[in-house]
Amino acid sequence: MSQSPAPAADQPILEFVEVSKVYGQLHALDRVSLAVPEGEWLSIVGPSGSGKTTLVNIVGCLDRPTSGQVRLGGRDIAGLNPTGLTEIRRTMVGLIFQKFHLIGHLTALENVMVAQYYHSMPDQAEALAALDRVGLAQRANHLPSQLSGGEQQRVCIARALINDPRLILADEPTGNLDAANEAIVLELFHQLHAEGATLIVVTHDSTVAGQGDREVTLEHGRLVRDIAHRDAPAASDGGNR
Amino acid sequence: MAWLMLRRSLTRRRSRVLIAVLAVAIGSTTIFALALLAIDIPRHMSQDMRSLGANLIVLPADGSPALSASTVEEIKGVLTDSEVVSVVCFRYANVRLNQQPFLAAGTDLAQAQKAKGYWDVEGDWPDQPGQVLIGRDVASLIGLAPGDTVTVTLTQAVTAADPTDPSDQTDPDGQAPEPPAERSARLSVRGILTTGGNEDGFVVMDLSDLERLTLSFDLVDIVELSIDRDSASLAELAQTIDRQVDQVSAAPVRRLAHSEADVLAMLRSLLALVAVIVLALTLIGVATTMMAVVTERRAEIALRKALGADQRSIAWEFQCEAMVLGLVGGLLGAGLGFGLAQAISQSVFQRGVAFSGWLAAVTVAASVLIAYLASRQPVRRATLVDPALVLREE
Repeated sequence: MSQSPAPAADQPILEFVEVSKVYGQLHALDRVSLAVPEGEWLSIVGPSGSGKTTLVNIVGCLDRPTSGQVRLGGRDIAGLNPTGLTEIRRTMVGLIFQKFHLIGHLTALENVMVAQYYHSMPDQAEALAALDRVGLAQRANHLPSQLSGGEQQRVCIARALINDPRLILADEPTGNLDAANEAIVLELFHQLHAEGATLIVVTHDSTVAGQGDREVTLEHGRLVRDIAHRDAPAASDGGNR
Repeated sequence: MAWLMLRRSLTRRRSRVLIAVLAVAIGSTTIFALALLAIDIPRHMSQDMRSLGANLIVLPADGSPALSASTVEEIKGVLTDSEVVSVVCFRYANVRLNQQPFLAAGTDLAQAQKAKGYWDVEGDWPDQPGQVLIGRDVASLIGLAPGDTVTVTLTQAVTAADPTDPSDQTDPDGQAPEPPAERSARLSVRGILTTGGNEDGFVVMDLSDLERLTLSFDLVDIVELSIDRDSASLAELAQTIDRQVDQVSAAPVRRLAHSEADVLAMLRSLLALVAVIVLALTLIGVATTMMAVVTERRAEIALRKALGADQRSIAWEFQCEAMVLGLVGGLLGAGLGFGLAQAISQSVFQRGVAFSGWLAAVTVAASVLIAYLASRQPVRRATLVDPALVLREE
């Protein structure tokens, strides 16, 4: 698997500085500042319309802020064009979706290889190893329609991990899962976290949010709470500056 | 990986692929069939129009006697077998029926039946000497019907210069007029002939019957040829006959030749117009289908973009897929189109059409091009989709 270059030790992998996103009169994000150290598991919570999705889109290089600075891996991505954002997303971010978003006519293995294809070169052995890591090696040749929801989410996780991203961004990863599958997914996240992965997990579920090192709460586009659950690799200055 | 994704998309999305392939195939079937017919129909039409009568007439040159059997053979020698649809010779003589003058035409009736497809015979065609066809006007005037017997009395043979003019008293050898003969023959009326032309006033009999009546043998006044050529090369053929055969005058039947050319030109124009309309409808149909297929996969496109695909690679993948669909649809269409053209040709012309390899290749290439053009805009629009779509769960 490829490995993105590591940032300087004292530099957070993600840093928001006074970031705002305005749609007409609506402030989806309002001067949010946030720093996420390498290796931290950050949970983002908040009611619907609080700006979680906007924040995730900006972190995932799927959208650009109206104002403020966003540094990902030490690089300011706020002013990048779509091509530049695609490049950053491809090399640095692994995305995990609530509804899995697997390509229906490709097998589990092929879905993982698609992410390799757009990143560098498809490697079946590596893709199979990623599936094995999430406990799905035996289901590698099954189509998404032949997999349970939990299995599909694990394929989605394998796909997010396959290119060894520096940041794993999960949007309601357990939102469509039952308790048993939620536990499996959270266990996987714990394993990844233990291995040093940086996780940003957006969730409505307080149980899921409580698993992270830190939990921030968004309301009306503003960051209103920043709670540390346990010692994190590096401290955050959190909150609106 | 791109090939794998393409293969999987084609083999595992069968219902969608089938719809897209069918959209292309229906268009290419119609276009291939129309094009094949546009090439083949003029050939069939030309052959069929030959049965409407002669398009080349050979007469004795001015001042020349009737044409001998050897001259007729010389004329036939100028022609190639493949282009000759029919050759019918006529000998004319003035006769009387019930004391009324008419013109008698002697010919090989079997040949005439094949060549004169437009002759309408009430009753039957004569099938042996001693039987005649009576023109409708003659039958009406004298009161004849099939099955009757009629006495035909020779008045005088006429020249081919004006076979319809019974007053012309020059004999076939160009000799001085002889006194009217009174030779007669009793002939059986086999059928009543209606053509809408001069023949309605004729008594048409076997050439051997007329020869016995006129006592002149192996002479004809006119040779009517039906040749499978267009009007321009028909004129050239007439000139060739004039040059190579002595004492004859060949001339195309201009009205028929020009009418044939006009009909074929109109038919070609009509087929071309229909083909263009079908092409436009196919383009619209395929574009609509491709738009539906691509729109249905917007979420997949957004996902690919979210995974790091750029617009160009997505457009390339989807347009390759469209072109493969066009290729499959085009191949299917060429096969089905040949079947359709074959069925139409059999049903309308009672003949098959020959498969055209180059036309099939053009049809397949056009199908690929149509699929590419039809998918270009929907794919372009789809690649502009916001990848955040997948995160917003829309």
